[in-house]
Amino acid sequence: MIGDLPQILINGVLSGAQLAVPAIGFTTIYAVLRFPNFAIASHASVGAYAGVMANTTLGWSIGLSLVVAFLVAGVVGVVSDTLVLRRLRPSGSLTTAIGAAALGIVLENMLRFAFGNDPVGFDLPVLRDWKLPLLDLRVGPQAAEAALASLIVMAILFSFLAFTRSGRMMRAVADNPMLAGLKGIDAESVARRANFVGMGLAGFGGMLIGLDTSVDPLTGARVVLPVFAAAVVGGLGSIPGAVAGAFVVGVGEEMSTLLLDPSYRTAVGFAAILLVLTLRPRGLLGERAL
Amino acid sequence: MSFRMTRRAALLGTLAAPALIRSGWAQDGAIRIGSLTPQTGAGGAYGPGMVKTIRAVVDEVNGAGGVLGRKIELISEDDETNPDAGVRAARKLVDVDKVVAILGTWASAVTTAVAPTCWENKVMLFTVSGGDGITRLPHLGYIIRTQPDSGLQAQRAAGFMLKQGVKKLGSLSAQTPFAASSYEYISKVMKDGGAEMTGDVIYDASKTSFRSEVDTILKGKPDALFLNSYQPDLLVLLRDLYRAGFEGKRYTLGYAANDKLLAALPHEVTEGLISYSPSPDLTGAAFKKVQSIIGPNPDPYSCQTFDHANLAILAMAKAGAATGPAIHDAVRAIGNPAGKEVSDVLDGIAALKTGEINYSGASGPCKFTPIGDITGCKFRFDRVEKGQNTLIELS
Repeated sequence: MIGDLPQILINGVLSGAQLAVPAIGFTTIYAVLRFPNFAIASHASVGAYAGVMANTTLGWSIGLSLVVAFLVAGVVGVVSDTLVLRRLRPSGSLTTAIGAAALGIVLENMLRFAFGNDPVGFDLPVLRDWKLPLLDLRVGPQAAEAALASLIVMAILFSFLAFTRSGRMMRAVADNPMLAGLKGIDAESVARRANFVGMGLAGFGGMLIGLDTSVDPLTGARVVLPVFAAAVVGGLGSIPGAVAGAFVVGVGEEMSTLLLDPSYRTAVGFAAILLVLTLRPRGLLGERAL
Repeated sequence: MSFRMTRRAALLGTLAAPALIRSGWAQDGAIRIGSLTPQTGAGGAYGPGMVKTIRAVVDEVNGAGGVLGRKIELISEDDETNPDAGVRAARKLVDVDKVVAILGTWASAVTTAVAPTCWENKVMLFTVSGGDGITRLPHLGYIIRTQPDSGLQAQRAAGFMLKQGVKKLGSLSAQTPFAASSYEYISKVMKDGGAEMTGDVIYDASKTSFRSEVDTILKGKPDALFLNSYQPDLLVLLRDLYRAGFEGKRYTLGYAANDKLLAALPHEVTEGLISYSPSPDLTGAAFKKVQSIIGPNPDPYSCQTFDHANLAILAMAKAGAATGPAIHDAVRAIGNPAGKEVSDVLDGIAALKTGEINYSGASGPCKFTPIGDITGCKFRFDRVEKGQNTLIELS
């Protein structure tokens, strides 16, 4: 049983990397706008469809399609926020969260109307895993590439937040909206940027999941709970926390298969949330309690 | 003692009159049969064809003068693939139309919901639903189904695997109410056939990767895997099995390995995947007749409702009475192996005048157990070749 541990850790890290990107998107929007935007699920599906169209219809490479997935989901995020969620924000975060869930269902059904319910695959061969016979381990080349892509996007995001004016404005609003307002930072403009980046990341993550599986209108909905769990465990609003949370959830779910039937994987993820929030209500790296 | 005509009595009398007239018709006029099929909802694609085959049988019998000297009247209702709508429609068929049988319920949830209305009123229910629990309801023999339940399907699949030389079988199942029972059926047949079961993993179908599940099941070194999946999770599972380098045989269900799944995966991932599903008897005379009614490729449900109509009418002819209990008592005697082989309703009615008959239908032999399950039917086994399902055996 212990001998299986290295393989399970590898599997968990690969799943965690897959969750991390949309979890960062979710937590970024939460940091700036202070509500859980559950429409992240349908934006992940939007990104996945944008990517699969760019790849199969236009014949673009996977790398370029990932950029398309980010841009399309980001733009859809800004538009849907401007049309729907912005009006709800004055009514409080609970109203906005429910509105976001409803928006997500509408977007999901628009995808269903446009593309149907059938799964669509990328124009990409499925590769056999690399085997390390001495250690009896295997690693999927595509999963490793996806993890690498996640790391690159995270690095770009951290540089954006640390070194650009937009990034600093977003951090200022996240840290103290009132003080940022006094300094002359336009909250609406920052909200748009946060939505673009957050939903863009969701779309990017959605396409990574689509590369690993296939794309259908429920692609995003399947991962929204683990993504939410990752953001909560890490501390809502904390970007390094979302990354840490994603790995905790990913590795935790895989580790549970050592002791329990795999059908309890999801339950174990949520038991982890309960445990973290009971012992540390602000999450692993969060600054304030929820 | 005097009878005073009150307003209440007058009202009751007015309400009762049509019912009296109606029951008078039901006794001496046409025999009423109801169809309850999904014209809308998830099963909406199947309902119209199902009614068409029933109507064709009824029209044919009426054209030859009816049965027991009476015409048959078909009353068609839509169950909307919804238990609520199904129960409303069934109550109308039973209470208002006084049908002797209801044919064609499709979704297991609808069948389960309307069944009590049928058995309490001694109306025979013919269904195409496959859910295991249906024939285990306390229905007193008032349910007959022409669709094999998952137990029979699993047993036939296991028999095929043994025939293909499978010695060590592992099982990966989506978490459903039938996962555990399917596994039990399969493992019993496999073990009786001398094969070994290397493990059973039940997984959460909503996950986007099954790497650890695949690692777990491959630890037992199976030479074949049974994938009790639905289409979305089978898609992910096949990719993960390919990535893990599994080279053995993979068996799954026909509704999971459908054309849409094959279109969404690269050919090298699906090559050699074997799937099985219940099949109409493609070579029989009854199937050819269904083809002439609804076209060259009838779906299994239209074939089954064709048989429902034949069975109900032949049972009435055999019993010499047009009631629910008469069909209930006679329906199993329609498939008497010692009787004359028939696959046509008019031949059957004629043959019953002189002796026993052995009906075999479009969906299969139509022999039933005491609780109303079919004892056997044809199965088709397909193997994926270059992204296309190819029939390898029909048995």
